[in-house]
Amino acid sequence: MTAETLRVEGVGKSFKDKRIIKDISFEVRKGEILAILGPNGAGKSTTIRSIVGIMYPDEGSVTYQGMKTGEIPKNKIGYLPEERGLYKKVSIMDIILYFAELKDYPKKKARERALYYLKKLGLEGKEKSTIEEFSKGMGQKVQFIASIIHEPELLILDEPFSGLDPVSQDVMKNEIKELAKAGTAILLSAHQMNVVEELCDRLFMIHRGEKVVYGKLDEVKAQFGSYKCTLRGQNTIASLEKLPQVNRVEQNGETSALYLQQDINPAKWLRQLPETINIQELSISRTSLHEIFIDIATDKNLLERNDQHA
Amino acid sequence: MRNSMKVAKWEFKKNVKNKSFIISLLITPLMFIIFYSLPNLLDSFESEPEAPTVYIQDDLQIWESMGALVEAQGIEWDTEITSENQESILDEVQNNENTAYIVFDEQALEEGLLTVYTNESMEGEFSQEVNILLQPLQQFRISQLELSDEEAAYIARDISINQTEMSQNTDEGTDPMTRLVPGIFGGVILFSIVMTGMMVFQSASQEKKEKVAEIILSSLKPTELMQGKIIGYFAVGMSQVLVWVIILLPFLLWKSDFPIAEYLFVPETLFFVFISILGYLLFAAIFAGIGATFEDVDTTSNFQGFVFMLPFVPLLFIGPVLSDPSGIIAQIGTYFPLSSPGVLLMRLSMLDSWPWVEIGISLAILIASIWICMKLAGKIFSIGILIYGKNASLKEMVKWLKY
Repeated sequence: MTAETLRVEGVGKSFKDKRIIKDISFEVRKGEILAILGPNGAGKSTTIRSIVGIMYPDEGSVTYQGMKTGEIPKNKIGYLPEERGLYKKVSIMDIILYFAELKDYPKKKARERALYYLKKLGLEGKEKSTIEEFSKGMGQKVQFIASIIHEPELLILDEPFSGLDPVSQDVMKNEIKELAKAGTAILLSAHQMNVVEELCDRLFMIHRGEKVVYGKLDEVKAQFGSYKCTLRGQNTIASLEKLPQVNRVEQNGETSALYLQQDINPAKWLRQLPETINIQELSISRTSLHEIFIDIATDKNLLERNDQHA
Repeated sequence: MRNSMKVAKWEFKKNVKNKSFIISLLITPLMFIIFYSLPNLLDSFESEPEAPTVYIQDDLQIWESMGALVEAQGIEWDTEITSENQESILDEVQNNENTAYIVFDEQALEEGLLTVYTNESMEGEFSQEVNILLQPLQQFRISQLELSDEEAAYIARDISINQTEMSQNTDEGTDPMTRLVPGIFGGVILFSIVMTGMMVFQSASQEKKEKVAEIILSSLKPTELMQGKIIGYFAVGMSQVLVWVIILLPFLLWKSDFPIAEYLFVPETLFFVFISILGYLLFAAIFAGIGATFEDVDTTSNFQGFVFMLPFVPLLFIGPVLSDPSGIIAQIGTYFPLSSPGVLLMRLSMLDSWPWVEIGISLAILIASIWICMKLAGKIFSIGILIYGKNASLKEMVKWLKY
C-alpha cells in the first residue's frame, strides 16, 4: 500500500449554531488522486480550508505525514482555492516568485520552474505580462503554476477546471496526472464527473456536511451505481415501477429510465420482463458517477436503498 | 515574523515600483520648492523701486555724517541739499511722486521733533528708513550739552526691558525653535506615514477583491499577513519622508538662512519620530482590520467612511492647544488615543518644560490601545479577508470579535 500523506479524522466545524461539516474522515496517499465531491454548500471548501489551515476544525484532526495541525509545514502543501485571483497590476513572474518565496522555495529554482511551466501550458514569453492582459483561462493556468511552483507533496485543487475550455481542461488534466505519477498526493474537488472518472483513483462524496460515499471509483460504482435500463415505448410509470428489482423510475415523454437494484444480473432481469411492456428501444448501462452525484444532490432514493443492500 | 517580513518586502516592492507612487514622491518636494521659490522669482521680475528723491534742509550742518550713516545701512536715497524757501520745496514734493523733504533745523533740535514731508505716493518703506535718523540726531543733541564722553554715553543709552519668565524648569530662555522644528518634522512624518497607512486599508480591500488572500493564507497566518502589510507600508511611508528630506534639506540649507540642520538634529526629533510611529501603528491596525471587511470601495458604508476621518481627529484640537498648550482640552487630547500622537506633537513643540507625567500616561494609553486594536483588527482581518462578494456590516464585525 502506498504511503499515507494526509489523514483527516472525524473533522467537524460549526459556525455559531450551524453545523457545516461533521465527522469527516479520509486519507490521501502518495501518488494518488482523491476526488472530494458534493453539491454546492455540502462543506467541501470548509473541509479543504480546515486541511490547509485557513480554518481550525472544532473537532477531529488533520495529520500530514504524522504531523498534527499547527506542526504541518505549509511549504509542503500546494493550494488552488475555489475563490482565486491574482494581483492585477504585477507581472506574472513577480507573482509566482512571491508565492514561491512564501513557501521558502529558492528563487532561482522557482524562476526556472515558472518558465518551464509557462512554456508547457502555452504561456511562453508572457512572464512579464500582467493578469489584466490575460483571459480567464490563461489566468487560471498561472494560478495553477503558482500552486505547484514549490513542488508540493500534497496538492489541493478546488475546482481547477471551472471556466476552462476543453483544450485547456485536457492540458490541466495531463499536468495533474503527471504530478500524481511523480508522487504528489492530490486532493481534487470538481463538479465535472467525467473528469473525475477519468482522473481519480478514489473519491469521497460529502452531502450536507457528512460523508455519503468513500472508496475506489470502481467499488463505488459497483456498490452504488448498479444498472440503469433506458426504455423507449409507451408505458405508464406505475406499470414500470411494478417490475421486479426496480428501485426508481424517471420518465420523460416516451423515454423511461429504470434504476435497478444493486445485485441484479442484467441478462436474467431482461428475460423476466413481461410481454405487456411496450419496447421500441432498450439499453442497459452502468449508472454513471454523474448520476450517482445527481442522486445524492437531489436526495433521490437510489443510494438509500442501495445502502441497505451494501 | 519571517513570514511578515516577506509580505512587508512584497508590499514595499509593489508600491515603490508603482509609477503613480514615484510621481507623487517626487512631485511633493517639487511643489514645495516651487512654492518656496515662487515669491522670490516673482519679485525678481518686478522692476527695482526707484530711489526716492529726498530734499534735505541742513541748517544744523549734520547731513554729512548722517548721509554716510544712511548709505552704510544700504538705504538708497537720491538726496539733494537745498536752501530754497520751504514753500517752493513743499510745492515740489506735492507735485512729484516719490519725493520727500527733511528739515534739520533748530526746532528739531530743541523740540526733538524731526519734520518730514512726503508725497502721498511715497512707499511705506520710507517711513521705516527715516527712523534711522533719530538716533544720530539724539546723539547730536546730547553733544550740544558739552558733557563728558562718559556722561554722553550714559544718557544716550536707551532703556530697555529685560523680562524673565520664572518657571520650575531652570533651563530658562530656551529657543522655541529647538522644539518647534523637530515638532514640525515629527508632524510631517506622522502625516506621511498615516497617509500611507490608508494604503494598508486599500491593500487589504484589494487583496480581498482580487481573491488572492486565500492563496496567501495557505502559506502564512492572517496575523502575519496583516503585520506584513503594516510593516511594509510603514517602510513605504518612511522612504517617502527620507526622499523628501534628501531633496528638501539641501535645498533649504542652500536657500534659507535659517539654521534648520542645527535645530533638527536634536534628541527631541527622535522622540517625536517615536510618537509618530506609535500613531501610525494605531491607525494602520484600524485600517487593516476595516480594509479586510469590504471589497468595494464605491459602496463604502458611513461607518467605513468615518474610519477614514479618524486620523484627522487631532485637527479638532488645534485651536484649543495653540491658545493654551497646558489647558484641559489639550490634556484630554493628549490622553485620547486617536488624537494623542497629533496633540502630543503640537503641545511638546510649544511647551518649554515638558509634562513628563502626562506624556508617560498618554504613551501608556496609546501603546495599550495599539495592542488592543492590533488584536481586534487581527480577528476581523482573519475572517473578513475570506468573506467574498459583500462588504461586512458593523454588526457582523462585532460578531466576528466574539469568535
